[in-house]
Amino acid sequence: MDILYLLVPMSALLVLGLIGLFGWALQTGQFDELDREGQRILDIDQASGRPAAEE
Amino acid sequence: MASPPLTSPARTTLQLAGLHCAACGGLIERALRGVEGVSDCRVNAAAQSANILWDPARTALDRLVQAVRRAGYDAAPATPAAARELRRRESRSALWGLFVAVFCMMQVMMLAAPHYVARPGELAPDLKQLLDWAAWVLTLPVMWWSAAPFFRGAWRGLRARSIGMDLPVALGLAVAFVASTGAAFQPTGPFGREVYFDSLTMFVSFLLAGRWLQMRLRHRAAEVLESGLAALPATAFRLRPDGGIDTVPLAALQPGDCLQVAAGASFPADGVILQGHTQADEALLSGESRPLDKPAGAAVLAASLNLGAPVLMRVDRCGADTHLERIVGLMHEALAQRPPVALAADRWATPFLAGVLLLAAGAAAAWSVVDPPRALWVAVSVLVVTCPCALSLAAPSAYIAAAQALARRGVLLRQPAVLDVLARIDTVFLDKTGTLTGERPTLAAVARIAPSVHREDELLARAASLARWSTHPLSQALAAAVPAAPQGPSWREVAEQAGLGLSARDDAGLEWRLGSARWLGIDDGAADPAAGPRLWFGPAGRPLLRLDLDEQLRPDAAAAVDALHQAGLQTVLLSGDTPARARRLAEALHLQRALGGADPARKLDELRAAQSAGRCVAMVGDGINDAPVLAQADVAFAMGHAALAARSAAGAVLVDGNLKGIAAAHHLALRTRRVVRQNFAWAALYNAASIPLALAGALPPWAAGLGMALSSLAVIGNSLRLAR
Repeated sequence: MDILYLLVPMSALLVLGLIGLFGWALQTGQFDELDREGQRILDIDQASGRPAAEE
Repeated sequence: MASPPLTSPARTTLQLAGLHCAACGGLIERALRGVEGVSDCRVNAAAQSANILWDPARTALDRLVQAVRRAGYDAAPATPAAARELRRRESRSALWGLFVAVFCMMQVMMLAAPHYVARPGELAPDLKQLLDWAAWVLTLPVMWWSAAPFFRGAWRGLRARSIGMDLPVALGLAVAFVASTGAAFQPTGPFGREVYFDSLTMFVSFLLAGRWLQMRLRHRAAEVLESGLAALPATAFRLRPDGGIDTVPLAALQPGDCLQVAAGASFPADGVILQGHTQADEALLSGESRPLDKPAGAAVLAASLNLGAPVLMRVDRCGADTHLERIVGLMHEALAQRPPVALAADRWATPFLAGVLLLAAGAAAAWSVVDPPRALWVAVSVLVVTCPCALSLAAPSAYIAAAQALARRGVLLRQPAVLDVLARIDTVFLDKTGTLTGERPTLAAVARIAPSVHREDELLARAASLARWSTHPLSQALAAAVPAAPQGPSWREVAEQAGLGLSARDDAGLEWRLGSARWLGIDDGAADPAAGPRLWFGPAGRPLLRLDLDEQLRPDAAAAVDALHQAGLQTVLLSGDTPARARRLAEALHLQRALGGADPARKLDELRAAQSAGRCVAMVGDGINDAPVLAQADVAFAMGHAALAARSAAGAVLVDGNLKGIAAAHHLALRTRRVVRQNFAWAALYNAASIPLALAGALPPWAAGLGMALSSLAVIGNSLRLAR
């Protein structure tokens, strides 16, 4: 049971670390538009990096 | 629209952020009224906007925004670009709070589990201590980030000497946290040995989940509204000085940029055509459905469609300054009006909250006599369980969800309150031309009435080529029905007699005429009164061709009228056309009554007569022609483009003549009324049942938190059914 005295504080620290990671992801805008990321694969114009008018 | 002179009061809508309840709205109203030069101010907590009447000579918009910020909220002018940015900020901070709360809640639950499963004496005291400490550490982020909005809200309320919905919640959280902290670090101290970190974090998570759902609903509604208008391209093609082309996002555009716009694409900004000659479709912005000619030097509007050819344009205005964004702003303003049901709920919020605080204090006092250790927890339970979130969400959430659902079906509401009236209507008045039928007549039949050397299609092409000289609707219909011949006859001395027709000479010098029977010099007295308008064509005095034009029913007219009948509504056709034609159309569509030969005054009389007979009337008409009749009706639907919603007298706009939207809107209005009643009943029932339980000490804090959160979620979930 003694191992709990190490594991409990460690899990608490791990949780705090994960919260920090999520905060970073949020601030870089990864959760702003969840729909668009899914649709991006279908977007030919953007993938080719070329304006559609030139094709 | 002319902008008002600067000396007169201006009406501005600010988009707000950080509101959670009706009481917050009162605080902002008070803060704004305190600014010198503000004569009136209305805050809609549901739409998170403030409508302010202020004097530009005595104050500035900046000062208004600062006043809101000083009161502890955020604000931005209600232009869509600013509103989008505000939405993004708000959604990030809400997601952050929610994630921290839920994630920590799960861990705290794990750490709390041994307390519940261990038999007495099984859990070593120092291990219990360790688990409590760990739970305390994980509760800290929840209190610091997730619960911060509640504390800020409560503090704002206290400073303004008013009671907001956040005050009981913040008080409950603070008491529970302080007492649990005391118990965790000093189990022999005055707070006893019981810790409630799990209840605390769970309460915060559920409360935030409810608010997050509500925020998403509001944001979605705003997005649907904006996309209902017109779509801007996501990127623009900007010319570099060296001639190359960059693909840039719209946000990076600046006035003075030179852009390439492909044919078929929409213009990304307001500006001027530099090179090329094209046509633009500005229907969504101005209501003008014909393509407009745009030579070099002509002004173009953002979101209008480039139909003709690729062109180069110079950006004059972009982002929030464009014509499009101003229209979207007007739409937001329109939706910002508060429905009457919500107003009634707002009035009761403050006395109710004051009662809650008194009850909690009374319960604590009573229990401190009966059973001192439990007094604190009973007070916390009462504070938490009575949070009237569900009550305050009952009406606004349903209205917003319904407005969103209708916008998706092509019905844009000018104000949510329209839904109230819409649920009560029993009669629908329909205008004929432009509503049930298309705006322009079409060519229905061609008859040859005299022998000639020309073939019929030759004559028709000839008539059409002459018709192209005129802008009269019948001429336009004829011109549209016949494709332009590559080598038409060359007309000379083309003249138009108003009300009669066109005349012109051909290459041989013969005078041809196109127009009414009288213009061609014949008598058409025996014409069927139910027939549509007719044109005659031929050399003067010798008509060769008779052209019958007729109005075309909109493809969904019959189905839409059937749907109205199925909903138990009476239908009446109002038309300025001859009674015989009105009757014929009414029979074709199975309309219950038809009134022909009616000018706007007669239509208005008819409407007033129905209203004084106790009927609740919806009028469906052409946004511009029928304005007085639309204004008189209890609910008015205008046919047209979304931009009209901000301008016309109508309460709702059927985008692109979507007639089925009427029945859909009525159906949804009935459902909305039902959902609002369910919500109110549920919220009232919940509060009535839970307060006695909490006062009696039968509700531990965790159950109080769960109950309160679930009741809010139930109300939002119920409203969300409307959004589908």
